[in-house]
Amino acid sequence: MVLSEWTGVLLFFIGGLLVGGGAIVTSYLIHPRRIQAQKYEPYECGVDTIGPTWVQFKTSYFLYALLFVIFDVETIYLYPWAVKFQSLGLFAFIEMIIFLFILIVGLWYAWKEGALEWK
Amino acid sequence: MNVDLSLLAPEIALAVLGLGILVLGLLIPKGSRHGLGWVTALGLLGVLGLTIAGWDNQGTLYEGIFIVDRYAIFFKITFLTAAFLVTLGCMRYVDEMGDQSEYYSMMLFATLGMMVLASAGDFMTLYLGLELMTIAFIVLVCYRRTETRSVEAGIKYVLLAGMSSAVLLYGLSLVYGVTGSVTIYEVGRAVTTEPVPALILGVAMLVAGLGFKISAVPFHMWTPDVYEGAPTPVTSFLAVGSKAASFAILLRVFIAALPGLWAHWTMLVAILAAVTIIVGNLVAIPQTNIKRLLAYSSIAQAGYILVGLVTASEAGIKGVMFYAFLYVFATIGAFTVVTYFYNVTGSDEIKDYAGLSQRSPLMAAVMVISMLSMAGIPPLAGFVGKFYLFKTIVDNYLWLAFIGLIMSMVSVYYYLRVALVMYRDEPVDHTPISLSGPVALTLIITMMATLVLGIYPGPLSEVVNTAAHSFFLP
Amino acid sequence: MVEFALHHAWLVPLLPALAFVAIIFFTRPWPMLSALTAVAGIVGSFIVSALAAYGVFTNPAFKEEPLVYAVRWFSMPGLQIDVGVQLDPVSAMMIFMVSMVASLIFIYAIGYMKDDPGFSVFFSYVSLFAASMLLLAISSNLLEMFVAWELVGLCSYLLIGFYSHKIAAREAAKKAFITCRIADFGLLLGLLAMQIVFGTLNLVELSEKIANFEQYTTFGILTLIAVLVFIGPIGKSGQFPLHVWLPDAMEGPTPVSALIHAATMVVAGVYLVARTMFLFHEVPGAMELVAITGGFTALFAATIAITQREIKRILAYSTVSQIGYMMLALGVGSMTASLFHMWTHAFFKALMFLGAGSVLHALHHKADVWEMGGLIRKMPLTGWTFVIGGLAIAGIPPFAGFWSKDEILAVTLESGHYVLFVMAAFTAFLTAFYMWRLIFLTFFGEENPENHPHESPAVMTLPLVGLAILSTIGGLVGTPWAPYWSEWIFFGHPHHVEPNYWVMIGSVVLAAAGIYLAYQLYYVDKAKSRARALAQRYNHIYTILYNKYYIDEIYLWFNHTIVDGAAKLFYLFDIYVVDGIIVNGLGKLTCLLGEGIRVSNTGRLQNYALVFFLGVLAVVVLLAFTGPSAASLIVGGVK
Repeated sequence: MVLSEWTGVLLFFIGGLLVGGGAIVTSYLIHPRRIQAQKYEPYECGVDTIGPTWVQFKTSYFLYALLFVIFDVETIYLYPWAVKFQSLGLFAFIEMIIFLFILIVGLWYAWKEGALEWK
Repeated sequence: MNVDLSLLAPEIALAVLGLGILVLGLLIPKGSRHGLGWVTALGLLGVLGLTIAGWDNQGTLYEGIFIVDRYAIFFKITFLTAAFLVTLGCMRYVDEMGDQSEYYSMMLFATLGMMVLASAGDFMTLYLGLELMTIAFIVLVCYRRTETRSVEAGIKYVLLAGMSSAVLLYGLSLVYGVTGSVTIYEVGRAVTTEPVPALILGVAMLVAGLGFKISAVPFHMWTPDVYEGAPTPVTSFLAVGSKAASFAILLRVFIAALPGLWAHWTMLVAILAAVTIIVGNLVAIPQTNIKRLLAYSSIAQAGYILVGLVTASEAGIKGVMFYAFLYVFATIGAFTVVTYFYNVTGSDEIKDYAGLSQRSPLMAAVMVISMLSMAGIPPLAGFVGKFYLFKTIVDNYLWLAFIGLIMSMVSVYYYLRVALVMYRDEPVDHTPISLSGPVALTLIITMMATLVLGIYPGPLSEVVNTAAHSFFLP
Repeated sequence: MVEFALHHAWLVPLLPALAFVAIIFFTRPWPMLSALTAVAGIVGSFIVSALAAYGVFTNPAFKEEPLVYAVRWFSMPGLQIDVGVQLDPVSAMMIFMVSMVASLIFIYAIGYMKDDPGFSVFFSYVSLFAASMLLLAISSNLLEMFVAWELVGLCSYLLIGFYSHKIAAREAAKKAFITCRIADFGLLLGLLAMQIVFGTLNLVELSEKIANFEQYTTFGILTLIAVLVFIGPIGKSGQFPLHVWLPDAMEGPTPVSALIHAATMVVAGVYLVARTMFLFHEVPGAMELVAITGGFTALFAATIAITQREIKRILAYSTVSQIGYMMLALGVGSMTASLFHMWTHAFFKALMFLGAGSVLHALHHKADVWEMGGLIRKMPLTGWTFVIGGLAIAGIPPFAGFWSKDEILAVTLESGHYVLFVMAAFTAFLTAFYMWRLIFLTFFGEENPENHPHESPAVMTLPLVGLAILSTIGGLVGTPWAPYWSEWIFFGHPHHVEPNYWVMIGSVVLAAAGIYLAYQLYYVDKAKSRARALAQRYNHIYTILYNKYYIDEIYLWFNHTIVDGAAKLFYLFDIYVVDGIIVNGLGKLTCLLGEGIRVSNTGRLQNYALVFFLGVLAVVVLLAFTGPSAASLIVGGVK
């Protein structure tokens, strides 16, 4: 009977739910309710924050990281290809040229759109 | 290695087109990129022609990881038609957003992803196509990056799509772990009727991951927010293309790779379809925003299409393909009206559609015909489509057919509400809306297609028959 | 050319249909362009029809084997529906006649409808009307025919109610539509029964299967089918007791009346019976029904016509009466005579309606014949063509009506239906009388000084002349001495009626007597005192006739008391039970559910993710328990 085989799984799920949900429910039921202004601070303890807490990063970091990944991946592909260049032949060579061409178009695009300039 | 590149010709052409548009965008100064829409549209027509020309050219590549059968070709035709119509209808919208070249090339890459998805013969290709499509869509969804709604939709889509991808990958790896293969047809041979729990878990993950893409309930939560926030042409492409592609691969995976487990997942799919139909239609009722309304209606439509999977039969596949194809026209018709209406009035609220029939009879007519087709009113295409879908299940799943029928009636209610606003109410602003050429062309094409496919479905039905038949060939 | 027309006969209905689409979507803002589009559509259709008809009537092979080509429209297991074209002498004659008469009417309408605000819309509707009728004529399949039949009904509704600002027009449109719908329901049931019993609605297949109906069904069922099918024509062709809509249908613009009465709508019923003759042929009882209905309607409508005062109403009742003749001929088994009368009738009735339209046009829509008089002096063309029409319908040789009416009388007598023969002969007398009463009152006698008539423009009179010529010579294709007609148009085997000189002479004498009586009462007697005295003396009969046997009133009474009473009961049930509990309750529940679920879409990403993973969980659980195991048995769906 399939049902009995799966009963274990079901019991496992129910048990997991009970443990996880039980902890939340229990704490909700038994915790003392003392509502104060400090309760709504992000951190109840520690020093007060000074100035805006939302620090903005420059997107250029992100763009550089992306471009780096592109060339990283390129290298990963180029390396084994270069090692086995003799045996792979012309077809692989053309494929690699196409691959490089697509990457170069991407780089060209990024360059032209100003992704390489630190503003 | 001997590769028949002619099988890949449409994909290659589309990739070249996408890159070409990107390069063109770099070469042409910012102010004069209006022509790119036409280049894209014509290019898509070319690729469409290429795909149709390859109708008799079937085969597999790389030991079965890329399958080109008529099933895949038919879906590719569907995607390309959709992409063409969307492009034709959205030019003005895109011109107002700016950055045309990126927009069009992203759309082309998304289409490329769909085409890869339709041809995917193993899990890796599947994932590749899916991510190519999804990532392109993520960019498109938050394209109006100065608008918080669009950005919010983008963030939601990134995170949730990422989540669903993770689940899907998990499912794929579980299936691989049990069967020892990633090629779909080999998995199909390995999967037996007596499953191990890990495989069942994997199937569940697959259902969830792909269910997310087709926005089946309960994996639909992203749909209304993303549909509402995304630029309208993107929404329509998302509703049509992404959904059709996900259905293409869903059918491929479940009917070709997991037929052994049919007895296990058929009831699940039936229940999912029922829930999706019910929730989609019910929640559409109180909506006041036309895009949200269409989003929920598209959820309901996904439910209808899912019905075709329940029996895992050739007839079901046929129903799905037929519906996916006609759904392209109904949805794009409706969304093109929404797009253009937004361009003119800047509003997506249903109440602002008051008196549209007086301001632009064509727009109102297309809206009504599209919606009635989605509701499945004869003699429109949607009726025939639903007929083919539900015909497959009336024997064993009468309750599901019953739910589909009742909910179709419910859907008429909210569709007609829009019609009522457009036809009965007096417009606040009486200025007629004049349509631009490409938009009018899109509207007329979609309307004629919806009418013709409804009145005379014979030829398409024959085409779909042969396409569905090819599914079982390899 | 001829070959092309034969194999592209679908162009016949398609061209006017295209004209309809073109006018609705493109040319509507330009009235003249719209009219020209419509005329181009119908004339193109006429040319194709003429070529096709030429092809059919020069090749005797068509008598045996119709040319059928069809495309698969819809298919599913157990049901295959083709739409296609069936060309044989009958349909070729029909499309030729319809497109010819319709072309003339269209041209006439350019003049008649001039300055009407709905000019373009009018032409789009009549184009659709003609397209539907042509489709009906060449259908190869009864379902296709039914679609066309309904389209004809729809168009008649639109056109009769064309002057929608007039209450009478709106009412007439509704009446026409509802009356025909009632009848169509019978027809639909008949078609369904045929589909179920014989598994096809294809004319050729049906005719083969019904010839051997014993293999499929019993005689009783077949009789039922035939009667059900005949209900449709009773309504559409305005036969008693569903004739009430037809006289009111003259509320539409006159060209529409001409189209409805002459070429299209009302003969559709006759045509349908002729097309399904293989069915009626097997059921003698149904044939009797057709014959009696026809004969009775012919006499019944003719008696009403003699007292009516409105010019178009008289013509309308004369149509009902003439259609009765056609039905009578069908019922006694002569499709040849019936369709021959349909052919000639199309010409002279279109002629007279258009003539009446010309009169109304000149008199600014004053319709009472008693207020007219002497119009022939001011409107010679209209007048003299109308006189030709009057001679044709009265049955004076050699005008068209004589030959066809004579043939109907002859076949009725030959088939042994003596009562019906007497009724038909008397109707012929009445017809001549009331038609000439109309002519004498309208065109001859003293002029009414209040009228300032003028002849209509050439665009209106030329079609009149054309139709007058056709009304004169149109019957020569089927004289007893040169029976081309019966060689081509027949059911079963060609049947030559021997020239029955007694019937011929008799019918001419009767017609002449009718005309003479009208001459005495309405022309010689300038004060019409004898006519008035007669009406006075037989006041009761006159009143009954003038009020059309109170049929409308009877229907009204029936509707008001019985139907309304029942309706009220149902209404209460509807309001309190159906609406109150079922519909509103369900609707509210549905809306509430929608609202409830909508709230769950909070817009918060965390919730979405949570729902997603709960969904995964639910799917796992479902998969585990809905496999081929206990749970699925409860919900059903095991292979």
